[in-house]
Amino acid sequence: MLEQLLIFTRGGLILWTCKEIGNALRGSPIDTLIRSCLLEERSGAASYNYDAPGASYTLKWTFHNELGLVFVAVYQRILHLLYVDDLLAMVKREFSEIYDPKRTSYSDFDDIFQQLKKEAEARAEEMKKSKQVGKPVNNNLVKKQGQVMKGSMDGSNKKNSGGDSENGGGDGENLKGHLLENGNFNKNHVINRELPRMVNSNGKENGSSNVGAFDVNKLQKIRGKGGKKTDATVNKGSKVEPKKKVVKKNRVWDDSPIEPKLDFTDPVSENGEENIAIVAADQGESMMDKEEIMSSESESEEEDIGKNGKVETKKKGWFSSMFQSIAGKSNLEKADLKPALKALKDRLMTKNVAEEIAEKLCESVAASLEGKKLASFTRISSTVQAAMEEALVRILTPRRSIDILRDVHAAQEQGKPYVAVFVGVNGVGKSTNLAKVAYWLQQHKIKVMMAACDTFRSGAVEQLRTHARRLQIPIFEKGYEKDPAIVAKEAIQEASRNGSDVVLVDTAGRMQDNEPLMRALSKLIYVNSPDLILFVGEALVGNDAVDQLSKFNQKLADLSPSPNPRLIDGILLTKFDTIDDKVGAALSMVYISGAPVMFVGCGQSYTDLKKLNVKSIVKTLLK
Amino acid sequence: MDKEKIEELKIQMHKRLNEAQEFIQQVPPIQLYAAIGVVLFTTFLFTIIRLFKRKSANTVVLTGLSGSGKTVLFYQLRDGSPHQGTVTSMEPNEGTFVLHSETTKKGKVKPVHLVDFPGHSRLRTKLDDFLPQAAAIIFVVDAVEFLPNCRAASEFLYDILTKANVVKKKIPLLLLCNKVDKITAHTKDFIRKQLEKEIEKLRASRTALSSADIANEYTLGIPGEAFAFSQCHNKVTIAEASGLTGDISQLEQFIREHVKP
Repeated sequence: MLEQLLIFTRGGLILWTCKEIGNALRGSPIDTLIRSCLLEERSGAASYNYDAPGASYTLKWTFHNELGLVFVAVYQRILHLLYVDDLLAMVKREFSEIYDPKRTSYSDFDDIFQQLKKEAEARAEEMKKSKQVGKPVNNNLVKKQGQVMKGSMDGSNKKNSGGDSENGGGDGENLKGHLLENGNFNKNHVINRELPRMVNSNGKENGSSNVGAFDVNKLQKIRGKGGKKTDATVNKGSKVEPKKKVVKKNRVWDDSPIEPKLDFTDPVSENGEENIAIVAADQGESMMDKEEIMSSESESEEEDIGKNGKVETKKKGWFSSMFQSIAGKSNLEKADLKPALKALKDRLMTKNVAEEIAEKLCESVAASLEGKKLASFTRISSTVQAAMEEALVRILTPRRSIDILRDVHAAQEQGKPYVAVFVGVNGVGKSTNLAKVAYWLQQHKIKVMMAACDTFRSGAVEQLRTHARRLQIPIFEKGYEKDPAIVAKEAIQEASRNGSDVVLVDTAGRMQDNEPLMRALSKLIYVNSPDLILFVGEALVGNDAVDQLSKFNQKLADLSPSPNPRLIDGILLTKFDTIDDKVGAALSMVYISGAPVMFVGCGQSYTDLKKLNVKSIVKTLLK
Repeated sequence: MDKEKIEELKIQMHKRLNEAQEFIQQVPPIQLYAAIGVVLFTTFLFTIIRLFKRKSANTVVLTGLSGSGKTVLFYQLRDGSPHQGTVTSMEPNEGTFVLHSETTKKGKVKPVHLVDFPGHSRLRTKLDDFLPQAAAIIFVVDAVEFLPNCRAASEFLYDILTKANVVKKKIPLLLLCNKVDKITAHTKDFIRKQLEKEIEKLRASRTALSSADIANEYTLGIPGEAFAFSQCHNKVTIAEASGLTGDISQLEQFIREHVKP
């Protein structure tokens, strides 16, 4: 059954809750919904799942943007309640009629709600029946029509008589009488709106209001049938997958003498001695510490808007659009927003934002604008643009502090090293940027140690050693073919012995689909429980960003032996100097993982490490 | 006597009027319109400035971490009851009203413009819109769940205390320990000490970063000394309140001190 139904303002004041249901919810699903879904620009989604110890809820919501109201329904996930969407829509309609910003308690809404709920349940029931029989059932028409009218009658009466609930018309006849006597425009309006809908829903299966619910029902059945099959095959498949360890063999070339050993990772190499003499690389201040001067580029922006506006005004008459822009359009509808959103989505996609994310963002912006009044002297496109800008700033603003130095100091006080693990796919620049971070930390008088845990790719250890030598940073290495988790563990032990503050762990690059390697990574993280898991990603990546990050997060969660696994804490965006204005990857990655961009790598030298400038990114994205 | 005097006055007035009419007829009409325009424009400007001044003088911003009870306090101040409870805010609550406890008072009471700003960190950038107009800031801290949120709270507080607007205008700040009706609530002295300690640490790490962080234009406290709220440029006071039970007398007193009736 329905667990709870809440109506609250966007400011956070609960206006009405369903008292009859009254079950105490476990955990705080509503707050979690707002914090992790509605405020993260995910409100375009259909539902949200909440897991608390002992309960798992599904939440559905709808907005009334003009009045600034939010309606949320909570129900147990195992029950697939079909009528929730319908009920929410009806509650929204009825409640918006009696809503008054000055009033704060709506105890009289209880009766209306009961009515609406019964009605919605009945309709869902009927839908089921009609599904089973295979043809529409029409005999309930009269009864239901009466009910609906009663409901709407209640609503309108209440508005007129200031909350006197006993005034409501009893049944269809009574209602008709009222109508004839009073000829009240308001009521008439309500009923007119109600009637065609009812006829539709009962006439044939393809009634417009019905289609959504009907389809869901059908889909769920299909899923129920098909799901099992696919599950079984998937299980089989994963079982079959062999678990063999990759063993490196010495490759024998045709025309060269056979080398006895490929592992060159002895601590002293041939040319090692002379290179140590190199003075520690000092290339000045890291860019992390430099201020950035922002140039205002609003002129070009405005031009662009102007162009968009012209396209729109061509469609309608010059005069009517002029009049609308002065008087302010009554209410924004989805159809009005569509062209502007389409243009915006295309623009985001040309900036290399993953398609899926551009789509979701636009849906969320549409959900937040629908039903709002357009202010006078504004165009739809500029309104949409402003809403999108706000949303983007909100997404890119970090949810938690990204002050690593602060965390390092905290770890220092506890007397243990701060461990950061760099993960990512192949060739995105993990080692290079690790060296940059090390350089930056070193400048702030923090003792850094590197741990070479890429025991897979040949040359990886040497690469890191070169960086370590240039920066004069101690490096912990154990050669190749060792378990990286063990190497990292030993490195951390070594660090706490020699008093290093930070351990930067370099890992092997891996594709997100490579299960053995991902398992190794989640083991490394489980064994060492690092303070920071930094995902290194290229700014060049387009649609694949979604796949990479979501799979990394998912695999880290699935393959971890611990019940509450660690996920990615932050993002390091590399090759940012190569992409010009296609900065969309930053947005895609942050949106998918919810983790902030902590560093941006933007060049070849050690100093080329920056912080993400949210304002300039947003400006570039919307340019 | 009286009638004669009135007659005299009337005649004089007529003369003056005639003179004025002649004068106006001599002046070219464009100049006349211009003069009228200038007069209108200046009065318009004055009224606008006045409106803005009034707004800026009595805005009080309620802020703090998510879940510390700002919205409940807002409705306690406005209506004297928390209604049916609150959920996480998505948008600021704003209102200009006479405090609920003062509605029964006689005489003219100046209304307060109160802004309840959501605590969610994603929305924090918008706080800058309200701070320039603020007459006072109330930073709400959850006294029950204080320790787990201590670091986040002190970071937020540090950000506010180093904002250029706050430092320059010396906007007074009230640290309000909410939920003191609960038995497990920490005392305000404990909270103050913990926050000072945390800010001391933050100062060390932020000054190292300061050249990179454009947001913090000012540094806090005196170098070489442990940080205390008394070192701030603006006045920082600390008080206790309980939003749910409605024990908010200290908060009301603070508001009244800074928004003069």
